[in-house]
Amino acid sequence: MMTPKLLLLLAIGSAAFCRAEAQQFMTREGQVHFFSSTPLEDIEADNGQMSAILDEATGGFAFQVQMRAFHFPKALMEEHFNESYVESDAFPKATFRGTLEAWDPTMEGQGPVAVVAQGEFDFHGVKTARSIPGEIMRKDGKWVLDARFDIALKDHNIQVPAVVRDNIAATIAVDVHAELAPR
Amino acid sequence: MTTFFKGWALITIAWCIASPALGQDLLDLLNEGVVEETRPVEATFKDTRIVNVQSNETPAEGVMHFVIAHRFGTLNSGIYELWGLDNAQMRMALDYGLNDRLAVGVARNTYQKTYEVNVKARVLQQTTGPEAFPVSVTWYSVAMANGLRPSEGMSMPFSHRLSYVHQVVLARKMTEKWSLAFVPSFVHRNVVATPDEVHDVWTAGVGTRWKVAPRVSLNGEYHHYLSKQFDDSFSPSLSLGVDLETGGHVFQLHVTNARGMFERSFLAEPAGKWKTGDVYFGFNLSRVFTVRD
Repeated sequence: MMTPKLLLLLAIGSAAFCRAEAQQFMTREGQVHFFSSTPLEDIEADNGQMSAILDEATGGFAFQVQMRAFHFPKALMEEHFNESYVESDAFPKATFRGTLEAWDPTMEGQGPVAVVAQGEFDFHGVKTARSIPGEIMRKDGKWVLDARFDIALKDHNIQVPAVVRDNIAATIAVDVHAELAPR
Repeated sequence: MTTFFKGWALITIAWCIASPALGQDLLDLLNEGVVEETRPVEATFKDTRIVNVQSNETPAEGVMHFVIAHRFGTLNSGIYELWGLDNAQMRMALDYGLNDRLAVGVARNTYQKTYEVNVKARVLQQTTGPEAFPVSVTWYSVAMANGLRPSEGMSMPFSHRLSYVHQVVLARKMTEKWSLAFVPSFVHRNVVATPDEVHDVWTAGVGTRWKVAPRVSLNGEYHHYLSKQFDDSFSPSLSLGVDLETGGHVFQLHVTNARGMFERSFLAEPAGKWKTGDVYFGFNLSRVFTVRD
């Protein structure tokens, strides 16, 4: 009675279920903006190539930012950023891998909902455990994510020479905006 | 029956793991299908000059690059001259990046009251990535005019004051820390000072940078003399320096046996002897101003 054919059919049926469960949303065009503010100088840069992914079933979440995709208003700032501060050749990207806490994928039609991404942030060769508060909203079939968080340069072993210590903030504010579409 | 369910469960689990949706790390998914881009190699040298000679770098578009360079007297001149510090001469220069590949500049030197007009173009750019290009090629041309008053009763037509240098800078960032440049130069002088000198001089130069810390590098350059001129006592120019970088400034400290800071002088004219301490301490300060975003 239990033929191999039936076995295969059942297996494929359950596998299809397994795939359907795992709907993922992602983008490669997330926006990152950072801002360093001191009384002497404001420094900011934009990156429109953040990639991010959200597993709708589990709330698993990750993002990745290429350091060289940050653009500054001044060419020399960009060169210094890559060469002397974040050392883009040695550490080309920053990544975050974690989960959205208290994740509820059934929030269709609601406004932005506060979430906290809990996980590991890997930047300039230093991994830190972070919980990043943000907002998420289901809109037009996408997950729209906004977050603002701080990065203390010393936590990630980024050296600022004494002569420019008054020009570069010890803590950098980072804004993130991403619209994740089904992949 | 149990065998059947075991089989079912096994296949299902295997399928789910094999499925890219669940089995893989989310970060790996982000990197799926991402191709590395070819991009220019930056900061082969920290300034537009290695020590005396041009590097492959030019000011970025809309950037005004202002350089105040000092060259003191010879180190062997003793305490009375404070080892040369009493005899400063200067070069003031303004370079402007018309775009990221083309710059123009003017300069004025204390030495022989020399004026300069120059143009510098990045012809080829070293890149890294899937379609990497191994070397940067930059062209530099400068016209120099001696501004000294003629001797009493003598006249000096303007054309007699002029000299020109054309050079190609072939530079490669060999590693993250080490850059190397090969600089062949051609010097033409409309008028030469002595019968020993020739109007056209060819030199082959090498320059290098070793980045010892994120903002500190050691630089050196040497120009080998290819044209027959002077006797064997002629010293070609050899210079060693340190670049210190702070924000929009680069400080260059160096020791060189070349007297002048413009190309005709340090390429075609005899330099001091390193052996006898007939060398000069020099100090450049460069500052960039972004005048157009």
